[in-house]
Amino acid sequence: MTGIVLFAIALVCLFLGYSVAFTFAGVSLLVGIYVLGVDLFAFMPYRIMSIMENTILMAVPMFIFMGIVLQKTGLAERLLESAAKLFGSIAGGVAISTIVVGALLAASTGVVGASVVAMGVISLPVMLKNNYHQPTATGVICASGTLGQIIPPSIILIILGDVMGVPVGDLFRAAVIPGALLIVVYSLYILLLGKFKPEYCPPIQVNEKKSELIVQALKDIVPPLILILTVLGSIFSGIATPTESSAIGAVGAVILSIFYGTFSFGKINEISKETVKVTSMVFAVLIGATAFSMVFSYSGSEYIIEDFFMELPGGKWTFIALAMLAILILGFFIDFIEIAFLVVPILMPVAIALDINLVWFAILISMNLQTSFLTPPFGFSLFYLKGVAPKYLKTSTIYKGVIPFIIMQILVLLLVIFFPEQLILN
Amino acid sequence: MDATIKLIGKTIDAIGTLCSILLLLMIVNVFYDVIMRYFFNDVSIAMQELEWHLFAGMFMFGIAYTLKEDAHVRVDIFYDAMSKRKQAIINIFGSLVFALPITLLIFYYSWDYTLEAYNMGEGSADPGGLPHRWVVRSVIPASSAFLVLSIAYVVLTQIKTLQLGYKAKTEEQGG
Amino acid sequence: GLANADSSKKVRWKLAETWGPNFPIFGEATKNMANMVKEMSNGRFIIRIDSSNKHKSPLGIFDFVKTGQYQMGHSGSYYWKGKNFNTLFFTTTPFGMTAPEQYAWFYYGGGMELMKKVYDQYGILSFPGGNTGNQMGGWFKKEINSVEDFKGLKMRIPGFAGEVLARLGAKPTNIPSGELYTALERNTIDALEWVGPSLDLRMGFHKIAPYYYTGWHEPAAELQFMVNEKAYNALPKDLQKILTVAMKTAAYDMYAQSYHESAMNLATLEQDYPNVKMRSFPKSVMNVIWKTNQDLLKEFAAKDEMTAEILKSLSDYQKKARAWTNLSDRAYLDSFDGEGKLSTK
Ligand code: NA
Ligand code: NA
Repeated sequence: MTGIVLFAIALVCLFLGYSVAFTFAGVSLLVGIYVLGVDLFAFMPYRIMSIMENTILMAVPMFIFMGIVLQKTGLAERLLESAAKLFGSIAGGVAISTIVVGALLAASTGVVGASVVAMGVISLPVMLKNNYHQPTATGVICASGTLGQIIPPSIILIILGDVMGVPVGDLFRAAVIPGALLIVVYSLYILLLGKFKPEYCPPIQVNEKKSELIVQALKDIVPPLILILTVLGSIFSGIATPTESSAIGAVGAVILSIFYGTFSFGKINEISKETVKVTSMVFAVLIGATAFSMVFSYSGSEYIIEDFFMELPGGKWTFIALAMLAILILGFFIDFIEIAFLVVPILMPVAIALDINLVWFAILISMNLQTSFLTPPFGFSLFYLKGVAPKYLKTSTIYKGVIPFIIMQILVLLLVIFFPEQLILN
Repeated sequence: MDATIKLIGKTIDAIGTLCSILLLLMIVNVFYDVIMRYFFNDVSIAMQELEWHLFAGMFMFGIAYTLKEDAHVRVDIFYDAMSKRKQAIINIFGSLVFALPITLLIFYYSWDYTLEAYNMGEGSADPGGLPHRWVVRSVIPASSAFLVLSIAYVVLTQIKTLQLGYKAKTEEQGG
Repeated sequence: GLANADSSKKVRWKLAETWGPNFPIFGEATKNMANMVKEMSNGRFIIRIDSSNKHKSPLGIFDFVKTGQYQMGHSGSYYWKGKNFNTLFFTTTPFGMTAPEQYAWFYYGGGMELMKKVYDQYGILSFPGGNTGNQMGGWFKKEINSVEDFKGLKMRIPGFAGEVLARLGAKPTNIPSGELYTALERNTIDALEWVGPSLDLRMGFHKIAPYYYTGWHEPAAELQFMVNEKAYNALPKDLQKILTVAMKTAAYDMYAQSYHESAMNLATLEQDYPNVKMRSFPKSVMNVIWKTNQDLLKEFAAKDEMTAEILKSLSDYQKKARAWTNLSDRAYLDSFDGEGKLSTK
C-alpha cells in the first residue's frame, strides 16, 4: 500500500509545477521517513554511486552533445533547406522533406528537442507561407522530430537497455524496422493527403534548376549521412560499444561543423553548457527516481504489484495490454524519463516472471513513449514547437495537428505487438 | 541581498564552466580509448575508469548549475498559467520542503561514505585501475554542498520576486 | 524464567547479496541458508534476502555489512581487493588448491583463522559461502598456440588473473556483464572468462566463441557469507550456532549443486553444440603463465607481511594436500575413466 500512496502523492505534487526530480526525491523522503525511518536514506550514496559508475548511461550526454552540435552549427537547417527545395514541387513535398530530414536527424542523435526546434524554425515558415493546412504543418513537424526517440541511436533505448538489463546494441538493431515503418506510414499519409486534399499541402515555387538542386542536396546530405553511417555502423559492426560510438558521433559532428565552416569555440562553449543542462536534468530525475524506487521496494510494494499482475486472467497478453495502456495514459501527464525510471522497473519482474522477450517489450515501451511526446497536455515535442512557432499559432492547432500522427503511431505499435517475428530484427 | 545573490550566482556559473570542461574531457577520453583499441589494439583500464570519473563529476555538479539556470524539467500545465507571485511561492516551497532536506541528508550520509573509502585507502579492484576511490566518492558530498548553494540562490531570487511584486502592486495603488 | 524470555524473542535480519534476483546457484545458496535458519530455529530467526535489484549496489555489500545497514551479506571476498589486498586470497588463487583441498585448509589448515585476522579490523565475520568448483579458462574466438597469441588479446578477465595475463601482453578490459555477449559477438573483445558450464550456458557464449579453454586461474572459487560482528554477538547462543551451521551446510551444498549443474550443462553443450572445441592451453603456455604468476605472488609477498603470511600458509598446505590428492584422486582417475574402462596410460 505504501507504494501506491507514495505514487499518488508524488503524482499530485508534480502538478504544482516544481522540478520533477526534486519533487520525487522530496516526496520519497517524507513518505520514507514516515514509513521506514530516516536510516533508509543511508543507502542513497550507494545508489548514486551506482549511477555514477554506469558506463552504459554515459552514452546519453554524448548523443545529446552530438544533436545539439548539429542544431547549433546550422547543419540541420542546411539539410532541411536543400531537401525542401528538392521535393518542394510536388504536393506535400515540403512535408515529405520534413519527414526525411527528421529521419536523418533521428538516425544521428537521440535528442528530440533539437530536431523539432530545427524544423520548426526552417520548415514551418515555408509551409505556412505556402498556405499549408496549419494543423497538418505542425503535426508533421512534431511527429518527424520525435522520430529520434525510436530510430537508433536513441536516449530512451539506452536508458531502457540499462533499466531492463538488455544490451543496448540489440535494442538499436530491433528498433530499425519499427522506426522505418513509421517513416513509411507518415510519408504515405502525406502522399495520400496530397492526392485527396491537395489544398492541405500545396506544392511550392522552386526557382533553381533541378541539376543545381541535386548538386546542392548532395553536398548537404552526403557528409551528415557518412557521419550517421559511421555512428550506427560502429555500433552494429562492434567496432565500438554504444557508449563509444556516441563519442565518435560527438567528435564527428564537430568535425562536420568545421568542414562546413560553422565551427567556433564560442559555439562549443554554448553547446557543452546546453549539454550539461539537459544531461543533469535527466540524471537528476534518475536520482529522484532511485529515491522513489528505494522507498517503493523497501516497503514491499513491488510484491503487491507482482502478485496483482500474476493473478490476472490471460497472463502475458493481459499484462502487455495493461502495461501499454498504463504507459500511454501516464504519458499524457509525465514524460518518458520518469516513466522509464519509475514505471519500467515496477513492470520488469512481472515481465521476467511471464517469460516475455525483453527486447520486444523494450521496443513496445519505447514506441509507446514516443506517443507521449505528442500527447497533450504534457508532450515534449508540443512544447518545443510552441517555443519556436509564430505567436498566432494556437496551442489547440498543434494539439489538433498531432492527432493523425498519434493514431498512426498506435497503429504501428499494434503491428509490432502482433508481428514481433517479422518486425524485430535480431 | 543582491550582493549575496550575485556572488552565489557567479560561483554556480563557475561550476557550470567546470562541468562543460569535464564533458569535453570525457568525450575526448572516450574517443581516445576507442581509437587506441581499434587502431592500436591498446586498452587501458585506468583510462576506461577515468571516463566515468569525468562523467560522474559532470552530471553531479551539473545538477546545481541546472537548478540555477532553471532547466530542470517541470510538469508545467498549471505552473505556466500562474502569476509570477504564485510561481515564486511554489519555487520557495519546493526548494525548502522537497529539495533541501534530501540534499542535506545525502550530504550527511555521503560524507561518511567518502571517509570510509579514504580510511581504507580503497582503489580499483581491477588490474591497472585508478587508485583513491574516495576522490570520486567525494563528488557526492561536494556536489550536494553546491546544490544547497544553488537552492539558496533560487530561494533568494524568488523572495526578491515576491518583494518586487509587492512593491509594484503598492506603487500602482498609490499612483 | 529470564533466560527463556530472551531466547524466545524473534530475530529479524536482512542479507544483501551481490547477485540479481533469481540468480541460479549463487542465489539459491542464500535462500537455502535462510530457509534452514528459519526451520532450525522454529521460526524465531528470519533472514530476509535483498538482491541487487533492491539495494542497487552489487559491490556495496562489504560496506553494508561493515556499517550494519545489513546484518549479513553474500558476495565474493576477491571483490574487496581494492579495499584490502589480502581479501583476495580467500576466494581462490591461480594454480591454487582444488575445492576439497581448500575446504580442508579453511576448516583444519588455518584458513579460517587467517580470514578472521584480515576481516577483524572491519568488524566483519567472514565464512565460506559456496564453491563454484574448478572454473573454465574462458571462451576464446581464436586458438591459443603460443604465448605470443596473448599479445594484444582483449579479454574480460578481472582480478589477479587479469594482472597475470596483462604481463603476457593481454589487454584486460572492463565490460558491464549485460554487454558481454554483444561485445564478444562483435569482437569488441576477443575472449572472456565467466564461470563454467554451470553458469556460462545461460549467457550464450557458446553460440559465438568456438574455443572453450580449461582453467588455471580459479581452481576453487569460494563465495562468502559476511556477518556484522556486533549483530552476531547480540544473537542468543543457540541462534549463533544455527546460523553458522546453516552457512556451512549451504556453502557445501552449493559446491555439490555447482558440480551437478556443470556436469548436466556440459552434456547439453556436447550434444547440442558439437562445434564448440574444448581445449587446454599448451604446456609451453601454461609454463609461462605459471612462472609469471609465481613472480607476481613473490612481489606481493615482499610488499606486505600479512600477504606473505597468507601465501606461505597457502603454499605449505597445498604441498601437503596435493601429495595426498595425487596418491588418491589422481592415481584413481588416471587408472579408470569412469565409464567402465581401465586407462591404458
Ligand atoms: Na535517434
Ligand atoms: Na504526453
